Amino acid sequence: MRYEFNWSVLWSGQSGSWLLQGLLTTLEISALAWLLAAALGILSGALRTVPWPPLRAAAAFYVEFFRNVPLLVWMFFWYFGVPPLLPGAVQDWLFNHGAEFWAGMFALGVYHGARMSEVIRSGIQSIPRTQFEASQAIGLSVWQAYRLVILPIAIRLIVPPATNESLNLLKNSSVALTISVAELTFQTRQIETYTARAIEALTAGTLIYLVLCVSIAAVMTRLERRFAIPGLIARVGAG
Amino acid sequence: MAEPAIAFRLVNKFFGRLHVLKDIDLTVAPGEVVVVCGPSGSGKSTLIRCVNALERVQSGEIVVLGESVTSAGANLTRLRTQVGMVFQSFNLFPHMTALQNIMLAPLKVRRLARAEVEKTARALLERVGIPDKADNYPANLSGGQQQRVAIARALAMHPKIMLFDEPTSALDPEMINEVLEVMTDLARDGMTMMVVTHEMGFARRVARRIVFMDGGVVVEEAAPEAFFASPTSDRARQFLSKILSH
Amino acid sequence: MKRLLALLLTLAVALGGAAPAFAETTLEKIERTGTLTIGTRTGSPPFGFVNKQNEWVGFSIDLVEQAIKPAIERKVGKSIKVEKKESTPATRIPLLTSNAVDLIAETMTDTRARRESVDFSLTFFVTGAQFLVNKRAPIKGIESIAGKRIAAQQGSTNARILRERVPTAQLREFPDQPAAFQALAQGQVDAYTNDGIQLAGLKAKAPNPGDWVIVGDFYSYEPYGMAMRKNESDFRHLVNVGLMEAIEAGKYFEIYEKWFGPKGEVPYPLTAENKRFMIMQVVPK
Ligand SMILES: Nc1ncnc2c1ncn2[C@@H]1O[C@H](COP(=O)(O)OP(=O)(O)OP(=O)(O)O)[C@@H](O)[C@H]1O
Ligand SMILES: [Mg+2]
Repeated sequence: MRYEFNWSVLWSGQSGSWLLQGLLTTLEISALAWLLAAALGILSGALRTVPWPPLRAAAAFYVEFFRNVPLLVWMFFWYFGVPPLLPGAVQDWLFNHGAEFWAGMFALGVYHGARMSEVIRSGIQSIPRTQFEASQAIGLSVWQAYRLVILPIAIRLIVPPATNESLNLLKNSSVALTISVAELTFQTRQIETYTARAIEALTAGTLIYLVLCVSIAAVMTRLERRFAIPGLIARVGAG
Repeated sequence: MAEPAIAFRLVNKFFGRLHVLKDIDLTVAPGEVVVVCGPSGSGKSTLIRCVNALERVQSGEIVVLGESVTSAGANLTRLRTQVGMVFQSFNLFPHMTALQNIMLAPLKVRRLARAEVEKTARALLERVGIPDKADNYPANLSGGQQQRVAIARALAMHPKIMLFDEPTSALDPEMINEVLEVMTDLARDGMTMMVVTHEMGFARRVARRIVFMDGGVVVEEAAPEAFFASPTSDRARQFLSKILSH
Repeated sequence: MKRLLALLLTLAVALGGAAPAFAETTLEKIERTGTLTIGTRTGSPPFGFVNKQNEWVGFSIDLVEQAIKPAIERKVGKSIKVEKKESTPATRIPLLTSNAVDLIAETMTDTRARRESVDFSLTFFVTGAQFLVNKRAPIKGIESIAGKRIAAQQGSTNARILRERVPTAQLREFPDQPAAFQALAQGQVDAYTNDGIQLAGLKAKAPNPGDWVIVGDFYSYEPYGMAMRKNESDFRHLVNVGLMEAIEAGKYFEIYEKWFGPKGEVPYPLTAENKRFMIMQVVPK
């Protein structure tokens, strides 16, 4: 037998609006999680290189703990494990106001923050230590040295691996469907349920992810060129 | 004699089990230029890095401008605004232009007004001879120009002491003089300076005193004429014969 | 970018179109390989699940082994073996259309929409959607779920019906049952809706079965059928003959009793009405 393609299922009925809703939810959860991951990644990545051992140890603990447990487990942790720690009224309010979304966002953000941390750390460690010393020598505090010198350089150096990690985050956002977040993959499955058209729905989802990833990569490449440090890209490229 | 600008008192420094500074006793008077020389690994860099507390010592005391650097509660930020440092490898911040490099500390540490800071920074670039390079990034400057920007960056905080760690060793020969000239001008203006260098011509012309180190010990301290004419130790003699043969 | 998309689409169409070139019928395939491959569940007792002895068993699997397999063996003239693969609501149709399995034997509701993509056997089990709630909960059925948080199985017809009939209910769709039940047990949702039989299975497995009640009239009609690739009437006929013979000979009722009887995995007695419906599906020889 031959599979009869029927692409019209993707725009007939509610499919179009489901795909759009799914896309928006995916973008929303990924963007928020990305901000969280970037903040945690920069913080913990930087802490892993500072001259104070207890802070280094705390950051290392965060990274190893969160990145070595599967994302799915973290989804369940934030959705099932965390709310019982809150007062009953807060729980109920949360459950009525998108607890799934927020649990999924935290799971994604905290997990990818740990992975982002490694990227940032290796970026910082690729900066010669003398940059830090020069910052200290002109009187900058450790915090200022990181904020004004080390991180601005490190962040430019790590654009390619960070892009990679960001794309992983976007793709991993689909794991949130396990806790009932109606993101893009969820909606493609929904279309499949309604239309029994698996391949069409899957293709639509795949293409949307593909377009998203390719556009993000393109934007990041632009940013990388725009903010390139003269002389530095060549050095990293050569090294 | 006035209170010394820098005083080392029985300073000992270890890297793990490696004893790199041994019972150092040394003073530098205000306005004095001291050249530190000695074979590689003798502890010269470590010595001057202790002055602005880039290295911590295990015993002894270092007093800079009347304040102990080695005590637990030392105010390192204030110390470092009073002591400028120039490195062998320039260490300019690659993501900032020459002007931004110079302006960073006055803006962020002293929190001075931008217009004022920029005026001072441009004047400093003028002073080190490259006013037209203000907007160049380090990668687009020659080594000699980078080192002069680095000196201007250190001067921007109006330090009372300047430390130089082999400031010309990474430079092509034709650029060495432009940097040494800036340093000579500084010395003439009365800056207190500790300079690690193998430029013996500079030492002869500018230094008030030469400190010769070997194996973590200050082996000899003398005025340049005396040091070059008749070093008292064998090690200094050997060192000089090697250095001056080319 | 546009060209890349066009290329991908072409590729997808080409792959989809290339398969029939060397396609054989399902029966020919079974005859050649001596194997009937079915898609079934691992976590839906008693239809298909892994039991305490770590065996993959169940009502749907027994029907295949004891009713359908003999009919196929008779037709191809040799003994065949049944191979099981895991299928889920999301994967079962792709599994079929990609030829990974020949028959879906689990808990799949026969619907007109699905009949556009796959063919169904006779109905082999009848149930309908209800709600599992805490015994103290105020929910009594579909009429009292407005504004409530309701967990449903992702990709199920129940979710679809609720969305249409009670748009104000807050649906939370979970891909698997344990997560949905966990959400119910912890209060993330007020009720879990699924086919009555699924709920009965879940309740039987719960740590404290007495805490949970199944409420509400069937708000949907869920006739379970076995699904096959479309337009293979020979194969479908054999599957149906197997089922009819089992009903006629009483074998079907024995198997039913084994799984749904008072001592079965999930007690769910056959109503007189349903028994009559099963018998009336059997057409004359
Ligand atoms: N951070 C460090 N950790 C461990 N050992 C160090 C460190 N820095 C320097 N040393 C060691 O301490 C000793 C003195 O080093 P220092 O850099 O002060 O010598 P130097 O006289 O400046 O030599 P050079 O002329 O090669 O610059 C050397 O043996 C060096 O290997
Ligand atoms: Mg040195």
